[in-house]
Amino acid sequence: MEPIISIRDLKKSYGNKEVLKGINLDIFKGEIIGYIGPNGAGKSTTVKIILGLVGDYSGEIKIFGQDIRDGGVEYKKKIGYVPETADMYENLTAREYLSFIGELYGMEYEVANKKAEKLMDLFGIRNVYDARISSYSKGMKQKTLLISALINNPDILFLDEPLSGMDANSVMVFKEVMAELIKRGKTIFYSSHIMDVVEKISKRIILINKGEIVADGSFEEIKGQSMEGSLEEIFNQLTGFEEHERIAKDIVSTIMEGAV
Amino acid sequence: MKDFKILKFLDLFKGLFEMLGVDYPVMRKILNVKLILDGRRTSTVLSNQNTKKKKEEEDKNNFIRSLGIYFLMGIFLILYVLIGDNYLFQMSLVFSIIMFLLMTSLIADFSSVLLDTKEKEILLSRPVDSRTFNMARILHIFIYISMITFAIAGPSLIASLFRHGLDFFLIYLCEIVLVTLFVIILTALIYLLVLRFFSGEKLKDLINYVQIGLTIVMSLGYQIIVRIFNFVDIDNMEYKASLWKYLVPPIWFSAPFELIINKNYNNYIIFYSILALIVPILSIIIYVKLVPTFERYLQKFDSADGKTRDKNRFTIFLSKIVCKNKDERAFFKFATNMLRNERTFKLKVYPSIGMSIIFPFLVVISMNFRDLSNLINTKFYLWIYTSFMMIPTVIWSLECSGNFKGAWVFVTMPIRDKSVINKGILKAAIVNLFLPVYIFVAMVFLLLYKMQIIDQILVAGTNMFLYTIVVFRMMGEFLPFSKAFEVTENTTGGRKEFLILLLIAGFALIHYLITMTSYGTYIYIPLAIIISRFAWKKAIL
Repeated sequence: MEPIISIRDLKKSYGNKEVLKGINLDIFKGEIIGYIGPNGAGKSTTVKIILGLVGDYSGEIKIFGQDIRDGGVEYKKKIGYVPETADMYENLTAREYLSFIGELYGMEYEVANKKAEKLMDLFGIRNVYDARISSYSKGMKQKTLLISALINNPDILFLDEPLSGMDANSVMVFKEVMAELIKRGKTIFYSSHIMDVVEKISKRIILINKGEIVADGSFEEIKGQSMEGSLEEIFNQLTGFEEHERIAKDIVSTIMEGAV
Repeated sequence: MKDFKILKFLDLFKGLFEMLGVDYPVMRKILNVKLILDGRRTSTVLSNQNTKKKKEEEDKNNFIRSLGIYFLMGIFLILYVLIGDNYLFQMSLVFSIIMFLLMTSLIADFSSVLLDTKEKEILLSRPVDSRTFNMARILHIFIYISMITFAIAGPSLIASLFRHGLDFFLIYLCEIVLVTLFVIILTALIYLLVLRFFSGEKLKDLINYVQIGLTIVMSLGYQIIVRIFNFVDIDNMEYKASLWKYLVPPIWFSAPFELIINKNYNNYIIFYSILALIVPILSIIIYVKLVPTFERYLQKFDSADGKTRDKNRFTIFLSKIVCKNKDERAFFKFATNMLRNERTFKLKVYPSIGMSIIFPFLVVISMNFRDLSNLINTKFYLWIYTSFMMIPTVIWSLECSGNFKGAWVFVTMPIRDKSVINKGILKAAIVNLFLPVYIFVAMVFLLLYKMQIIDQILVAGTNMFLYTIVVFRMMGEFLPFSKAFEVTENTTGGRKEFLILLLIAGFALIHYLITMTSYGTYIYIPLAIIISRFAWKKAIL
């Protein structure tokens, strides 16, 4: 089977700092991938390059078999993206914003509007559909962001901390939605720092550290490589981090110092 | 969604945009959203609901009111258009004024739009190519700038119809559009050039110096136009075409009048006329071609450089000298850092600082040698008051921030005496911005006057301090860094702003009256110090 996303020797530097040191990846239809790594490891950069938000890289990225460098912007019609920084035009209402995004994806205004309204209703925030996004709570904004990424029925979803700020019930609903989407042949690229979620939902986990892939495989496979414990612990081991107890103690004793 | 008339007008040029490789329907949608957004203001986090509505209406009028000011300036242009039939001279003067006003407005109010990188995340992750995205951005600016252009040029345009006839009117109209386009693209290209050669953090600082530089260059450029022509009288002026004069855009735009109406077929007139038509069109093509490059350079703008250094030691030292109160000191340091680091703030404020540096000397620069040697006997130093013009802009901008939502900390912090917030922040503005400009301008004046006007400079200094307090007081309720910067908002807007500017003249007048008396300055300086000390305590809340 041909991979839906294929990345070959992807490198990227900002000035002298090399953030990606040669990423190689093949992602297939229907996969759900947990993309994890410490802060500043290069996770967001990878996704941004795939989406064409960051240029000037070396290597090759193919999506649906086509190099993104010469394909124009058409390929983005099949992609949904939830960025970590929830940037939206917050002075618009959800109706205005979501139908606008739908139109950018090439949908008719009425279709996008109806679909967005229905999704808002299903996510339980229909009542604020005509209020400005800036007045929303964090969870409501996150749901709006999710809808804006799903409205075009994308084949590939890039999700960066998609559950942040959402209440437990909504989280449950959305996890179920992801499982359902995978069943229907969608591909999800899931990036998060909450390891239990990644461990549970991902069929394949890719761990990136300092611009390189340090582990790639199912949770069991990664565990099999002489590791033990939960994904969180494996994460710590692979990124060479074993001092959390000492650091925690230091933090607390620093808090106690010099209090007013 | 609301549909704007201006977009319907734009539809007429659909074919043109598609020829440039722009996805027209998508661009139209983006523009529509941007225009909706401009009509709305980010509600400030801490303002309560009932004042919000009133504020919104106020903001909508703000831009319209600033158009009023431009319209007033435009009325003066009538004079230049009507005065004679020497089109080359008159119109190059008119165009240089228009270009100057447009470019300063662009640099001050629209740089942040031009250099914005946040929007990219929203739009470019969707199927929108960067050419379309950038065209939307340029057109968005173009809509506002052309409103300003027509406010400036409108009165003289109509007057020209009656004085010089339809031909003149039509040429003028076409050229206004070309000039507007040219100025916008030129600004973008200058930024592009700067972005090309510098990277990361350095660039962010540099952009602000570019702003100051451009402002100064344009103020001087206006002087040059006048000097190009040898004054005898208005209808009898010599013009010698020399090579460097081909580099002065306002002259290009004035040439078609000479060519078509006065039937002047001199080689240089024809050549200028061609330049006036070709260069703006060429610059658009170049810009469209360079857009991907522009985008790539813009990325550098936001990427952080690896090395960081603690630059706070000097600030801490300063804060100990300037502030007694501990809380006040904290806010002084905080504001100093904000002034230094907040890009949007600098983009808005630095052009006016540039003007404040150059304006006091504009007249001196255009003097000839004889006037200059006689300078010492004049009261020319009163021009120092023009440097006060940055104060309202700075103080107004202090209320805004790119991260205005962070202002909740002011309310949640346990601060007993809230006045320390504004005192600390105002001191930071004085020490970091007003004082350096004052010292620089004062030094130049002292040198010009061979150190003989120290007392006058001190009077101006105390007045500057007093003026700062008055301006702050007139702003009304003030919470620093708590509002968003908006495109449609303008610092040189309404009636209050006009009054604030008029006050500068008031201070200059007081100073002038003092110089009429023999010991005036020696009485005034201690008096002003006492008053300002008192005012500082009472007025800064």
